[in-house]
Amino acid sequence: MRFLAWLEALGRAALLWVNAMRGLPRWSDVKLVGRQIYNVGFLSLIIIVLSAFSIGAVLALQFYTQLARFGAEDAVGLGLALVVLRELGPVVTALLFAGRAGSALTAEIGLMKTTEQLSSMEMMGVDPLHRIVAPRIWAGIISVPILTLIFNIVAIYGGALVAVDWLGADPGGFWSGMQDVVQLWEDLGKGMIKSVVFAVLVTWVAVFQGYDSPPTAEGMSMATTRTVVISSVLILAADFLLTLVLYGDF
Amino acid sequence: MSDNLIEISHLTFFRGERAIFDDISLSIPRGKITAIMGPSGTGKTTLLRIIGGQLRPDRGRVLVNGTDVCRMDRHQLFAFRRNLGMLFQSSALFTDLSVFENVAFPMRVHTKLGEETIRDIVLMKLNAVGLRGARDLSPAELSGGMARRVALARAISLDPDLIMYDEPFTGQDPIAMGVLVGLIKQLNQALGTTSLLVSHDIHETVSIADQIFILADGRVIGAGTPEELRASPSPRVQQFMHGLPDGPVPFHYPADDIAFDIMGDQQAGRSA
Amino acid sequence: MRMRTVEISVGAFVLAGLIALVLLAIQVSGVSLTQSEQSYSITARFDDIAGLRPRAKVSMAGVTIGRVRDIAVDMEWGDAIVTMEIFGEPGSLTTDTGAKILTEGILGARYVGLLPGGDDEKLGAGDEITETQGALVLENLIGDFLTSLGD
Repeated sequence: MRFLAWLEALGRAALLWVNAMRGLPRWSDVKLVGRQIYNVGFLSLIIIVLSAFSIGAVLALQFYTQLARFGAEDAVGLGLALVVLRELGPVVTALLFAGRAGSALTAEIGLMKTTEQLSSMEMMGVDPLHRIVAPRIWAGIISVPILTLIFNIVAIYGGALVAVDWLGADPGGFWSGMQDVVQLWEDLGKGMIKSVVFAVLVTWVAVFQGYDSPPTAEGMSMATTRTVVISSVLILAADFLLTLVLYGDF
Repeated sequence: MSDNLIEISHLTFFRGERAIFDDISLSIPRGKITAIMGPSGTGKTTLLRIIGGQLRPDRGRVLVNGTDVCRMDRHQLFAFRRNLGMLFQSSALFTDLSVFENVAFPMRVHTKLGEETIRDIVLMKLNAVGLRGARDLSPAELSGGMARRVALARAISLDPDLIMYDEPFTGQDPIAMGVLVGLIKQLNQALGTTSLLVSHDIHETVSIADQIFILADGRVIGAGTPEELRASPSPRVQQFMHGLPDGPVPFHYPADDIAFDIMGDQQAGRSA
Repeated sequence: MRMRTVEISVGAFVLAGLIALVLLAIQVSGVSLTQSEQSYSITARFDDIAGLRPRAKVSMAGVTIGRVRDIAVDMEWGDAIVTMEIFGEPGSLTTDTGAKILTEGILGARYVGLLPGGDDEKLGAGDEITETQGALVLENLIGDFLTSLGD
C-alpha cells in the first residue's frame, strides 16, 4: 500500500511536469521567467559566492599542505580545478539552490494554493501550470547552470588567492598545471551537464511539493522540509550515476 | 435561447463514500440573482466548482448556455471560463501583484487591449467598488472587506455573463456587508449579469435574491422566492429560514444516547 | 521602477555567468583563441604501451607537441598501434624520429616521448614511426634481472 501511494505520487509529479512544460514557452512568458530568474537565481548569488570562496580556499589549503610534502605544489591548481569543475561546483551549487530557492518555491506555490490563488486563476481561464509553475521551472533550469559557472570561477580564484598569494605557491605552476590538464568539454562541459540535470530535479521536486501539499500549516512545513531532503538525496544519487555515465570509460 | 442560463439535471457527486449531491436538479434564470443556501458542509462551494468545471460530477449534466460543462475538454473549459467571474471566499488576490494589476490581470491574459484602454477599464471597475484610490496598494495592505471588493472588481473586469459569489458576506463587519450587498445588487442591475450566490447569511441573502434554493443532505429541500420560502410549510425550511438551533436538522452530530455513552464510560473505568 | 531593478539584476546575473564561462575557458582550461587548430596525425607501433591512454601528451625535449588520439591493438602482430595528433604543419619531424613510452615522475601518467632524428626526409600526415621502444614494465625488468643473475 505504501508503495502504491508512492507510485501514485510519482505519477502525479510526472503529469505535473508534462502538463506544465507542454508547449514551448511563448515570447510573452519571457517577462515571467525573468522575474523568477531574479527570485531564484539573482537572490541566491550571495550564498553561492560566499560558499564558493570558502570551499575554494579550504581545498587549496588542504591540497597545498598535503602536496607540499611531496614537493608537488604545482599540482594544487589542477587538483583544485578538477575537483571543483567535475564535482563540487555542480553538486554544492545544486544543494545550496535546493535549500535557498527550492524551499522558497515550495512555500510560495503552497501558499498560493492555500489562499485559493491557483483556483481563482483557473476559474479565470488561466492555467496555473503555465502561468505559475512553468516559468519557475524554466527559471531554475536557466539559473542553476549560471550559478554553477559563478561558483566554479569564484572557487578557483579563491583557491588561487590562498595557494598563490598567501601560501606562496608558484603562480606559473599553479595556472599552467591547471591549463595543461583541464579540458573544456571533459571537465567544464560535463560538469555543466550535471548541473542542468540537478536543476531539473530540484525545481521539479520543489514545485511538485508545493502544488501537491495539503493546504494546511502543517502540510506546508512538511512539504518545504521534504523539498530539501528529497532534492538533496536525488542530487547525490544522480551525481553518482552521472559520474558513472560521463566519466565511466575505465 | 432559454430563459435559464444554467440547467443542472440529476447531478450526483460523491466525496469518498459520502454523497455531497444526490440527484439534484435546478435551473438558474438569466439576469437574476439566485442564491444557494444551506447549512455549512452541504457542498455549496462544491456546486460552484462543478459549474466552473473544476470538479467533475459522478452523474448528471450541467448545461451552461446549452453546453455541458462536464464534457468540455481543457481548452473549451478555459475558453468558457473567460465568460465567468468568480468571487472566492478568501478573495484570492494575487499577492505578488498590486491592486491595479490584479484587476488588470484577466484583461492582460485574455485580450489584446492597449495599455491606455486597460488603464481606463481598471479605473472604472475600481471606481465601481469605490477603491479607485487604492490602486497602488498591495493586497497585504487591504482590509478583508476591501480585498473582497477588489476581488469583485477583478471578477467583473471582463464583463462576464455569470458571476458566482462564494460566501461573499462571511467574516465581514456590518458596514462592509452592507456595501457588498449594495454592490452585488447594483452590478446585477447595471450589467444585467446573472448572479449566483452561495451563502448562509439569511438576512443579507433574502434582501437581494430573486430566487433561493435551500440544500440539505445532498438534496434541494426548498426552492422559490424569499416570500414563498418564508411561507413554506416544510419544517426544515422553516428551521433554516428562522435560524432555529434544533429541529429536523439536528443540533447533535449522530451519536449514541448520552446516558449510555457516559454510563458506558464509567463501567469501562470500573472494570479497568 | 521596481520592474527595471529586476531586469537590470537579471541582466547582470546572466552577464556574470557569461564572464565566468569565458574565464573558465581561457584561464582554467587554457583554451587559446589565437591558437591555430591545425594538426596532423602519425602512427607508431609499440610492443607494450603499459597504460598509455587517449589524450596523453606527446612531447619532444619535454615540450608538449601533440596528443595521443587513438589506441588500437593489432592482433596479427600482437602489438599496439598508437595514433598521435601533432600540432602544426607536417614537415617538422624526420622519418627516423624515435618514439618511446615514458612515465611522468615515478608514479605519474604515461606519455609518448619523441626523439629527434637526423634524416633529411620528413614525416607526412598518416606516416608511421618505425623507431619505437615500448614502456619499461617493472615486472619484466625484475624478471630479466633475475635471469641474468642465474647465468
